[in-house]
Amino acid sequence: MRTMNSVCEEDSIEDVIRVMNKIEMSVLPVVDDENKFLGTIYSRNLLKNIIPEQYGFLESHRLLYQVNQAAENLAEIKDRKVKEYMSTNTTAVKENDKMDNIADIMLDNKESYLYVVNDDNKLRGYISRADLLYYLLEVGEDQQ
Amino acid sequence: MLGGRKMITTVTLNPAIDREYFVKENKPKSHQYLYTERDIKVSPGGKGLLSAINLRKLGYSDVQNIGFVGGRQGLFFEKMVQEHGITTNYIFTESEIRNNIFVISREPVTYTHYNDYSYKVEPGDVENLIKRFRRGIVDSDFIMISGSIPEGVNFSIYQRLIQICHEAGKDVYLHASGEVLNRALEERPKVVVPYFKHTNKILDKKIVNDDDYIWAGKKLQEEGAEYVMMPFHCSRLLFDKDGDVYKLTPRDFCLRNWLGAGEAYNAAFFDYVYQHGFDFLEANKYAAGAALAIAESKDIFLADRAMIKEKSDNIIIKKLEV
Repeated sequence: MRTMNSVCEEDSIEDVIRVMNKIEMSVLPVVDDENKFLGTIYSRNLLKNIIPEQYGFLESHRLLYQVNQAAENLAEIKDRKVKEYMSTNTTAVKENDKMDNIADIMLDNKESYLYVVNDDNKLRGYISRADLLYYLLEVGEDQQ
Repeated sequence: MLGGRKMITTVTLNPAIDREYFVKENKPKSHQYLYTERDIKVSPGGKGLLSAINLRKLGYSDVQNIGFVGGRQGLFFEKMVQEHGITTNYIFTESEIRNNIFVISREPVTYTHYNDYSYKVEPGDVENLIKRFRRGIVDSDFIMISGSIPEGVNFSIYQRLIQICHEAGKDVYLHASGEVLNRALEERPKVVVPYFKHTNKILDKKIVNDDDYIWAGKKLQEEGAEYVMMPFHCSRLLFDKDGDVYKLTPRDFCLRNWLGAGEAYNAAFFDYVYQHGFDFLEANKYAAGAALAIAESKDIFLADRAMIKEKSDNIIIKKLEV
């Protein structure tokens, strides 16, 4: 997908959550003020920071307590900056990279989205697992 | 593919989903049913966006569109734009993107247009757009700002955007009308193309006769525009920076379709400048060839350069004594 939807290191966590909600994405690229790709911010990482119990393990009778506590925790961090929660250890692929290589990178890095940059490392879009699968489907159909 | 590392940015602050319904007869107060896909056309609309699509068709690989979109329909709109190979750079708002409805009938031939102006944005959305725009244009060589602005956006928005462009050393091609144009002139955009929207006014003066058009072009330059390209019936008046005025006219043409002609003009103007450098008259002649190619066909978008070159020979430019 060709898109430069992104956030900056100085944006707030609240800004990030609002953008994620509106564009229905659970990850956003982080760029600098020249649109250079710096990394990503995942909703999963934010949730890990606000859910007090071990992430992914919630007992049903404690659910209400967990949600209230999570909301309080989020209220405490929502004005903090993206740079505190982003991941910089994120692989980006180049615009001219072959799709054949993308699958390897996606599997090696366990990323659900790979961000695409140009030769100057400027953000130009992303590829999702669904995009990759669809591409492979079309390749298969062409071969038949 | 052309473009190399050069990027072209178009700005569309008030885009719309255009929904065209082609019917045999438009009958008010009756239920009508459309059963064929070709009778319904849904496409992304907005002046800057249509120019961006034309630029992609002319071979430019790095074209982005910046603006506001909103709601679930905004996501759908974004996908439509991406399918044209354009890089989207949108601020998503709470308010749903607008829909324009066109009903075109054959018997008799009528054209009914419902223009949705219900979309609005919040102050926070505007500030987010400014931030996104500032970093979005870093790699851009050409910046085109066009069209209307939604409710909630101050009339000084184009002035702010042009100021950002100038701070970054970039020229702006402005296609606007009304108060938003009036204010933008203070930043001295390089090229201004006014258009008439709802009222026949430029700079708050009603434009009726030929002298009014000349007055308007010169006044736009006095107020800040370096060059002005004024729509003038089926022609254009060109005001170059030395104070000369020219009339551009197509020779022996047959108008079949107005839709897309203006956007083809804008895209082709950029194409000429990119390829040959800024020659105001020659760029306009080439651009007019593009507009003529669209106007004489059923197409809305340019297919290639060949269709432009063929028609450019039918364009006459004459200097006026004013």
